[in-house]
Amino acid sequence: MERNSSRVRRLDATTGHIESPRDRKGNVMFALAVMNGLVIGVIYALAALGVSLVVGIMNVVNFAHGELYILAGYFSYLFAGALGVNFVAAMIVAVLLVFLFGLFVEWVLIRPTYGNDMYSLILTFILSIVLQNAYLLIFGPYPNKPPGWVGGATNVFGLFYYGNQRLAALAAASVVIALLFVVIKKTWFGRIIRATSQDREMAELNGVNTTRLNMLSFGLGCALAAAAGVILAPVFPVTPTAGLPVALTAFVVVVLGGMGSLWGCVLGGLILGLVENLGAAFISTGYKHLFNFIILILVLLIRPAGLFGRREA
Amino acid sequence: MTDKRFYQVLVPAVVLFSFLPFGLGSYHLHVVIVSLFYLMMASSWNLLAGYTGQVSFAHAAFAGIGAYASGILAVRFGLNPWIGVVVGTLMAALLGLAVGVLCLRMGGIYLSLTTLGFSEILRIIITNEYEVTRGTMGLQVPGLFAEYSKVGYFYVMLGAAVLTLIIIYRLIHSNIGLNFRAVQNDERAAASLGVDVVRVRVLAFTVSSALAGMAGGLYGHYLLLITPEIPSLDQQFLVLSMTVIGGMGSFPGPIIGAFSLEILSEYIRAYGEYHVLVFGLIALVAARFAPNGLMGLATGRLMRRRAPEKTVAAAAKS
Repeated sequence: MERNSSRVRRLDATTGHIESPRDRKGNVMFALAVMNGLVIGVIYALAALGVSLVVGIMNVVNFAHGELYILAGYFSYLFAGALGVNFVAAMIVAVLLVFLFGLFVEWVLIRPTYGNDMYSLILTFILSIVLQNAYLLIFGPYPNKPPGWVGGATNVFGLFYYGNQRLAALAAASVVIALLFVVIKKTWFGRIIRATSQDREMAELNGVNTTRLNMLSFGLGCALAAAAGVILAPVFPVTPTAGLPVALTAFVVVVLGGMGSLWGCVLGGLILGLVENLGAAFISTGYKHLFNFIILILVLLIRPAGLFGRREA
Repeated sequence: MTDKRFYQVLVPAVVLFSFLPFGLGSYHLHVVIVSLFYLMMASSWNLLAGYTGQVSFAHAAFAGIGAYASGILAVRFGLNPWIGVVVGTLMAALLGLAVGVLCLRMGGIYLSLTTLGFSEILRIIITNEYEVTRGTMGLQVPGLFAEYSKVGYFYVMLGAAVLTLIIIYRLIHSNIGLNFRAVQNDERAAASLGVDVVRVRVLAFTVSSALAGMAGGLYGHYLLLITPEIPSLDQQFLVLSMTVIGGMGSFPGPIIGAFSLEILSEYIRAYGEYHVLVFGLIALVAARFAPNGLMGLATGRLMRRRAPEKTVAAAAKS
């Protein structure tokens, strides 16, 4: 930001413009970056919640998380775009299908690896490459986009016009996150999830069927990735490899927030979304994703357990 | 396998291999050279994953560091490629040490996450800094020899592969190797017996990254063109599947995996885009149903055949 402001001042000196319009431009740019950061940050939070939930309960990191996000985007593109189904129905069906796919993956691939974390890492990594290449064969390398929900733009605080689709995505993602929190904090199912992620053996002793819970929560994690995918696909079209940056950001969010912490995901997602967009606006667009990595390194150096992490590793 | 038996197998194999240039044409020699590169990559990845139980997704990235460090030094500063490969190896070792120290305090999952991020960042840097790296166009680098000689490269790669195998073998059969396996089997028990778990992991990661850097440096000077393909995740995936299919945690596993998959990939290359997908499916099935790979299948079969013999012998004795 400092570099940018000095550049603006130098430009002023050479062109002789008065200071105030440029300041205003800088302000608008800042506000726009913050707005973009909020929208994308909420989506990151949503994607990261899926990862965190699975890590908390099963101690498994799903490296195919980003590919499931993309899968949901493709499903909603297929149903709403190519088949012309109502977009809400298309989104719900897409998330449901990914949920079922998640259950299947847990049953076939992940369940036999319990007790050996390394194999689940390897299996989900291979799965991500398989899915990427399958998408490439089926849909080609071109970006695909389901139709938008709403058109037009809204004037935000009299500063700039902002696409309604993005505002709708912000609202939809916030609603899904709120619903998830209600489920986890207020319902019987949520209590089982919290109990198991706190102490697996105790939960088992109290009669929790952890095998079935693993399957359900893995599916739920995939469904959260899918929800992020269907919400964001009309804004950022899906390509076969677009899942990796989203998944990586979700992983960084989980580490930043603390493995298994849900509030950490929300806060971490917003922080990363804001940093990424402010960095892209004021420092360099090409290195947008580098900022995430710098944050990851800082977290590991200063507070490896994350913002809300439990101390033990 | 005792030391003596290891060299009894290694020496004849190397002698046999060194006759290959007399019998093989240029194309087949190329396949063998590429296989030797993958042998180094898969074996050194196995040192980390198979013997200490940590999964790094940046192994190809470290090969890329070796290749780009050596290539850029040669192109920009006219450094001798042989010295460049050494510098590239050291660079990979240093970065490996840094990444290892950074995330291995927190356990294996953090290494996997960080290394995945690391290789993605490396890709971004390489494509963004195209003035230095030539981005996706690829960086043209000088060869190791003044005059191009495929046979020369073959012997260099063979020498490097043998060196890699000896380093890995000696390491896993030393006290340090015992610590590696202790940490893999039961971290807490190892720590309670005085093994410095973090240091053991960092050491394994550093050595493995350095070996990848050396392999990548040599490979880059063999191809004469360094592209972001070398540090890509697709490449990482190939190395991983070779190790998993060959047999993780066994010494010959990655060697078998590297040769069989590289040769297989030459056959199915004709199908172009299906090639990675087919590999992925094979690797998925192998990792799920035969977690010890081809080596596991082979020894399992042998054990089963031997087991009844033993009982028969025992019965005869009684």
